[in-house]
Amino acid sequence: MHRIYLDNAASTPLSPAVREAMAPFLAQSFGNPSSAHRLGVEAEEAIDRARELVARAVGARARNVIFTSGGTEANNLAVIGGARARKTAGRHLIVGPTEHASVRKAALALENEGFEVSFARLDAQGALDQGHLATILREDTVLVAQMLVSNEFGSIYPVRDVARLVRTRAPHALVHIDAVQGLGKRELSITELGCHTLAISAHKVHGPKGTGALIVSDGVQLEPLLHGGPQEHGLRAGTENPAGIVGLGRAAADAEGSREQTVAHLTALRELFVQLIERLPGAKLLEPGTPQQAMMPGIITTFLPGVPSSVRLHHLDERGVLASAGAACNAKRKDVNPALLAAGLDADDSRRVLRFSLAATTTEEEVRHALRVIEELHHELEAVES
Amino acid sequence: MTTLDVTTPEMVLIRYGELALKGKNRGSFEHALIRNIRAACEPISNVYVERLRGRMAVIPEKRAGDVARRIQDVFGIKTISPAWGCEPAPEKIAELGRAILADALRDYAPNHTVQFRVKTSRGDKSFPMTSMDLDRFVAPLVLEGVENVKVNLSKPELTLGIEVRTERAYVFVRRLKGHGGLPVGTLGRAMVLLSGGIDSPVAAWLAMKRGCAVSYITFHSAPYIGEASKKKVVDLVRALARFQSHSRLFVVPFTEIQETIRDRAPAPYRTVLYRRMMQRLASRLAKRDRCKALVTGESLGQVASQTLENITCIADAAEFPVLRPLICYDKEEAIDLARKIGTFELSIIPEPDCCTVFMPPRPIIKGRIEACEAAEAEMDVEALVERALEGLEMINVKGDVY
Repeated sequence: MHRIYLDNAASTPLSPAVREAMAPFLAQSFGNPSSAHRLGVEAEEAIDRARELVARAVGARARNVIFTSGGTEANNLAVIGGARARKTAGRHLIVGPTEHASVRKAALALENEGFEVSFARLDAQGALDQGHLATILREDTVLVAQMLVSNEFGSIYPVRDVARLVRTRAPHALVHIDAVQGLGKRELSITELGCHTLAISAHKVHGPKGTGALIVSDGVQLEPLLHGGPQEHGLRAGTENPAGIVGLGRAAADAEGSREQTVAHLTALRELFVQLIERLPGAKLLEPGTPQQAMMPGIITTFLPGVPSSVRLHHLDERGVLASAGAACNAKRKDVNPALLAAGLDADDSRRVLRFSLAATTTEEEVRHALRVIEELHHELEAVES
Repeated sequence: MTTLDVTTPEMVLIRYGELALKGKNRGSFEHALIRNIRAACEPISNVYVERLRGRMAVIPEKRAGDVARRIQDVFGIKTISPAWGCEPAPEKIAELGRAILADALRDYAPNHTVQFRVKTSRGDKSFPMTSMDLDRFVAPLVLEGVENVKVNLSKPELTLGIEVRTERAYVFVRRLKGHGGLPVGTLGRAMVLLSGGIDSPVAAWLAMKRGCAVSYITFHSAPYIGEASKKKVVDLVRALARFQSHSRLFVVPFTEIQETIRDRAPAPYRTVLYRRMMQRLASRLAKRDRCKALVTGESLGQVASQTLENITCIADAAEFPVLRPLICYDKEEAIDLARKIGTFELSIIPEPDCCTVFMPPRPIIKGRIEACEAAEAEMDVEALVERALEGLEMINVKGDVY
């Protein structure tokens, strides 16, 4: 049975070009980049090239790129490393309303060190409440973390406005942007967005798992989380992962290089979903935020009345359509996401939310087939229930 | 009044100081500047560069903010302003100015009163208003209903700049500083003797700042020093590629020369003799690479080899004028500059360079040319030079890194 993969916000298939770029570093080029001999230098040079590619993809310089083991580590390094480096200026953090657990829990872990954590919130439409944010920013706020693209809904947050608000209200604060879902979909730039740190991950853009990067603006001090060797300017000790890093470099370059085509492709595919959802009785497309707010078109989150999403997902899986219930990372979370409440759904409804996430590799044919499967299943389930 | 979108600037306005004064050479200087701007931006965006009188407009396809930052590293530029354009009509200019001011004010604390003025310059003198008339026309319109702003003509902290051209007007508020200097390449090419230390990259930067395109030469004594030392020098060249996008690095094998000097010459003279050989090799390559000068990081009195006597001995072997941009710099000044240009962190990585090989316990402080010549008479200098050049490795460094 042909499998249609619609869970690209969780992970994406490795691209052949990325696999090819990585191959030598899983075979003959096995040197430790810190070694002084030619095998070491070879690995180090490959990392340098990857660093340039990543830097270009985010409009930065190679010196701004710190390779990590993925988005989670990048977020942890930014939040914990950033807050600890600024603790003499204050011990207050602000976390965006729908942050990924790797940001939220990293911030909360700092409570043991005397930090206080406040949460920004969504307004009634599900957009970031900037008026509220202005009131919770303080003189002693040292870090504000806000995601760029919601992994759960694809909503795009006004991070540039957040950064400016922070600059005027909390001059000591670092601004961290989790851009894991934004790479290859939005133009990323620490200077344009006005942030201090920005996290990306390889496996969301057809790169390998276990690799990501934190982009650190010039002059920003962070405390390392891992102690040991001098790798990554002393910010991330441990022998580098040349294969993974080379994979991230290739993947980031390709994602940025084809960004406009990708977005156009995803927008066209999203339209097909929208048409289907309009046909299904009681179904809703969840697009929290203001009507003018842009959505990342590759993430389509829907409320489908009837059976809980877990049941529907199993049925879809059996028929070859792979999707997810909300974000994969917190599929088991009990609390209701504020963005759902904003969309007029209650705790019970939130169990009927499905996320279909697309990538450049998703074809129109696949989407049309998946939509037929979703529609058939919907009617079958409706018939069973009634 | 509608609110215009001023999130991403439309273009980057460039002002060049010294360059405008260069009389007949101005055309070629401007061409070099345009070429260098294009090369600096190429990794992130194609740019269209338009020459205006005494100014340039750089119009990027994308990433205007990052493009502006990159242009800050191009020599020959005094200031840079990311700007927005509109039809050159006073009402349109005021409308755009209003949107830009509103956006800029969000960078100030909410209770702060911003000292503000409007300042027009006209490239197009046929424009129906004088510059001052336009200032007076625009200011009340952009300030209407805006709080916490006070006009202050003598000491403004925020200046709304207006640049009127025949076909378009540009409005801006930010002025980023460039490094000044002259466009790389306008004064010809020079050969920089690059070690892994702090000074020589700074010397290269200063030579580039004054308009030299540079090639680099470094000396490698394998197996006394390893691949990592060579890599360190390559990294330095890449760090400097911010200021000159394409560079050639010549790596000359230096082992045989050092061994010969160790075996045949008086030990105290080793360092001076190494350096004389370096000048010879650099001069040969300079000729091949069409350079007009050598550049070194020498600084008077900094180490034993850098006394007036030793500098005289060393320069005696050069066939080109030797530029020593750091000659009267203190170490701290060189370090400050190295930090500023981003080479310091690379320079302090502990890797030996060839100068440390067979270092004598008591190097000569006041060397004499005759003594150098006497020592060199004991070896076949020409053959050593030839053999070293046969083992030459050339590394092309293209990058936009660090």
